[in-house]
Amino acid sequence: MHVVSNLAKSCLLATVIFWIIAGTDYMDMDMILVIFLSFIPIFFIATIVILGSIYVIFWLRVNENFSKRQVYKTFYPYYAIIAFGIAVFGIISSGFDIYIIAFFTSAFITTSQSWIWFAKEKQR
Amino acid sequence: MKHILIGIAAILFSILFYEQRIGLNLSIFSLATIAILAFYNPKAFKNRYTIIHTILYIATAIVAFMQHSYISIIANCVAFFTLIGAVSEGKTSIYVYWLNGLYTSIAGFFHRNFEVNDDVEKVSLKKDIDIIHLTKLIGIPLVFIVVFILLYKNGNPMFNNLVSKISFEFINVQWILFCVLGYYLFSNISKPIIVESATLADLNTKNELVKPDDVSEEKLKKEKQLGTTLLGLLNLLIVLYIITDIASLIIGEDTSAPTLSSLVHNGIYTLIASIVIAIVIILYFFRGNLNFYTENRTLKNLTFLWIFLNIILIALIAIKNQNYITSFGLTYKRIGVHIYILLTLAGLITTFLKVLNIKNMVFLFRRNTQIAFIVLILMSTINWDQTITAYNLKHANGFDVNYLINLSNRNAILLNDKKDALSISESDKNRISTKYRTYMITLRQRDWQEWSYENFLIEDNNSNSE
Repeated sequence: MHVVSNLAKSCLLATVIFWIIAGTDYMDMDMILVIFLSFIPIFFIATIVILGSIYVIFWLRVNENFSKRQVYKTFYPYYAIIAFGIAVFGIISSGFDIYIIAFFTSAFITTSQSWIWFAKEKQR
Repeated sequence: MKHILIGIAAILFSILFYEQRIGLNLSIFSLATIAILAFYNPKAFKNRYTIIHTILYIATAIVAFMQHSYISIIANCVAFFTLIGAVSEGKTSIYVYWLNGLYTSIAGFFHRNFEVNDDVEKVSLKKDIDIIHLTKLIGIPLVFIVVFILLYKNGNPMFNNLVSKISFEFINVQWILFCVLGYYLFSNISKPIIVESATLADLNTKNELVKPDDVSEEKLKKEKQLGTTLLGLLNLLIVLYIITDIASLIIGEDTSAPTLSSLVHNGIYTLIASIVIAIVIILYFFRGNLNFYTENRTLKNLTFLWIFLNIILIALIAIKNQNYITSFGLTYKRIGVHIYILLTLAGLITTFLKVLNIKNMVFLFRRNTQIAFIVLILMSTINWDQTITAYNLKHANGFDVNYLINLSNRNAILLNDKKDALSISESDKNRISTKYRTYMITLRQRDWQEWSYENFLIEDNNSNSE
């Protein structure tokens, strides 16, 4: 599986979504450096989450009899529902803080897209 | 056309919910949801399950507007997922409706995105690529232009002056993002999807137990003996318990609050737990082959007796709870006990039907989740704060005025109307007046999206008094 390209795309997507949402609260010229630096923590979080939850499912379940498409169709619905539940809980617990909303929204969208990138890779 | 209609719905979503509390907006959203679902899934709306769930969803939308309570909002949300699930696959159980409804609402876009590549219809594939290409065409240059404008600003004062004059403050980005959220949601629900594994498993599972081909007579005989002995002894025990319980109810004169509280709170939860265990025992013995054993009549009769005695036990718990309510008034906890009792009774009746008609566990799960859903909707139709207040002021031998004041504002009008007739302290009367005034201010400050039935009630009162 193309883990590195998946992580790179996910990291970029997460950063864009995070700052589109967080930027609605406050944004100016000085923030550009912060935005670029934010790639580092976002990359670490994306790596941990994607490798620890999505990649491991594909790695464990994909075999000759069980395709990536089947893995996606079997596990993604439950993954999405649990991830959404955690995101809603986190957002409500934070009192709808804009940075928390940005974090969980970017995490949910990025992990969902990451599932698709993994599932759509051609199986060897 | 699809995108235009969903786009309009998305703008409506933002107008309804952006920086607003729940009120009239939820009811309008419910109608918009039905319109979108009916427009994109006309076939599904010919199915009677979909029609029933649409009516239920409309009913919860009206109730949410009338009652404006947490439970009515929860009931409306559950009915929303149920309806979407019914549209996605009408023949499944209600819990699969919920699963499909939830999955469609939160991840429909990603699911369809995943399916696109497998679609052999090149025309639709081309359409999707065009949208992605268009997004790239606008998005990427826009991001780079903004970055470079910000960079050039520091290099040239004249350019800086020029850029500073450009103001986009009239654009509310958060409002636009809310529109995007609305678009995502309406786009997701426009074509409901299913969780394949769960839906197929549910469709393939019938309610009836299947008679096995080969059965070990010896094993069944032993299991029947164990079941008969256990249920026989448990029946004796429960008869003894019921006799003593009835006696204590008739003889017992100590009706002090702590005694009744201990009787109700400590006793009821243990008893209900015992009934749940009773159901589990029955389900264990009638899980499979024993249902088809020719000599199971005694065991079946003992089971029916055990269920009947448990129903008597439930009636006794309900009487105790009602005594407690009569003496010390209604509270949410005491209402909760009644609802708990009602659900347990439903569980016992469905267990009886399962044993009588040789049904499987899935039958039980299906019927009980349906009952829970109906109970939730019925409970949401009642203004509990008002009911508790009215009951306590009229019928209870004693009540806690602090409890009534601390309830939500939905009893403020009633409390204010009755406060002068109550024998309570002046400070309590002042607290009630303050609660009423605060509530009136809150009602008047609401935007139209947050209106509830009470807004119209006070409007009526005001126009009558003028």
